[in-house]
Amino acid sequence: MVALVIGLALFFDFTNGFHDTANAMATPIATGAIKPKTAVTLAAILNLVGAFLSTEVAKTVSGGIIREGSDGVQITPDIIFAGLMGAILWNMITWLKGVPSSSSHALFGGLIGAAIAGIGFNSVNLETLLQKVILPAVFAPLIAGLVAYLCTRLAYALTSRHDPDTGSKLTQKRGGFRTGQIFTSSLVALAHGTNDAQKTMGIITLVLISAGTQAPGSGPQLWVITACALAIAVGTYAGGWRIIRTMGSGLTEVKPAQGFAAETSTASAILASSHLGFALSTTQVASGSVIGSGMGRKGTTVRWNMVGKIALGWLFTLPAAGIVGALTALLVKTGVVGVAIAAVAGTAAVLFMFVYSRKSSVGHHNAVEVEEAGQAVRFAKKKALARARAKPSRQKDAAMADQQKDAQL
Amino acid sequence: MKWLELLTVAGTTLVSAVTVVVLYSLGVRLTAIAGDAEQASPRAKRYFAYLCFGLCGLAVLFGLYLIIPYFSK
Repeated sequence: MVALVIGLALFFDFTNGFHDTANAMATPIATGAIKPKTAVTLAAILNLVGAFLSTEVAKTVSGGIIREGSDGVQITPDIIFAGLMGAILWNMITWLKGVPSSSSHALFGGLIGAAIAGIGFNSVNLETLLQKVILPAVFAPLIAGLVAYLCTRLAYALTSRHDPDTGSKLTQKRGGFRTGQIFTSSLVALAHGTNDAQKTMGIITLVLISAGTQAPGSGPQLWVITACALAIAVGTYAGGWRIIRTMGSGLTEVKPAQGFAAETSTASAILASSHLGFALSTTQVASGSVIGSGMGRKGTTVRWNMVGKIALGWLFTLPAAGIVGALTALLVKTGVVGVAIAAVAGTAAVLFMFVYSRKSSVGHHNAVEVEEAGQAVRFAKKKALARARAKPSRQKDAAMADQQKDAQL
Repeated sequence: MKWLELLTVAGTTLVSAVTVVVLYSLGVRLTAIAGDAEQASPRAKRYFAYLCFGLCGLAVLFGLYLIIPYFSK
């Protein structure tokens, strides 16, 4: 049972990775700052590094919601197995739909559902639930969105150039933000590694402690850290292209300066929150940032019906994962046969969703239609060059090419 | 309820993100100015731009330094 749970936990880590690649890499892919393949590779490596950086979060994130210890109830590997099942299935469904939902909420939901079905209502600590899940869910997008909005306004205000005499617009030359995006998105990937890989480490450690192979209160062991880091890195590399499409072009049109502002806000929010003891969901922070930056630039529209769809997905995450978790817990309660049925049904569901996803493949080649935009720019530049060669007024045309480049930024 | 923590997180996020964005934007702006043809001293402005990018990088590194427990212990 313990081995099975650890395997399942690592698989959850994998889904977490490919579910959340979008948080870090959707915006730079959308603006063309990094090529899609390079982006996921970079994100995978940084997730790996991030997972090793700090294990502070491992203890604080998942603890406390289900009453543990002497005065509460004993949490068993069975409950964790059921909880993970709920989390994984919900992650797969939202991925199939391209909804960026929170992996941590799926995990919490699954565990809560499993605990209620397996132990009873009194096993859930409602106050901690409110404090650790509900409140952050409300405030994460708000904080991130507001900060991203301000940052976007600042970035555009500081770099907008007008001719002092005529007041007409000069070429803005905001190309630097595209380079900057490489660094800020890397920071988000790093933050994701330090934050999300911790949850699985926490879970596996919890299993080991409950199975009696590890002393209570001790931190995650080295092999656990390594396995989790690898699982999340591989997941990230697999890339959840469907969600990248939603985040990169579904919410709003992202330009480099916006992307830079959004990523900076995301990274600061995640790192600040996870190290000051008020854990926020990576996905919700990132979505909030993208929306905020969309509102910050003049002439950008935020697709509110898409935002509504995502918000609906967030509302459903906790109960839906909870229901699957509860059902699995009921099955597991019946004994070894129940566990086998749950394991087979879960695997079958995952496989089915994978096969179903093949029908309308979304890969690195078509996640975001940035390739076309890139070619359009090159085309325009070539045209401008040809015109420059044909005409004597070279400088004017060079300025025009500059402006065309600006229009892209 | 942990309202204080919430405020701290919001404040820290705002301060750090604004610092990084302002410094980087200044760098971008100065690079743009230095690239203009009719500039008096493009070199000085370019150096200022590099200074801004450098400070921005330092701010990020300082943030990481604060976070990674390996350094703070």
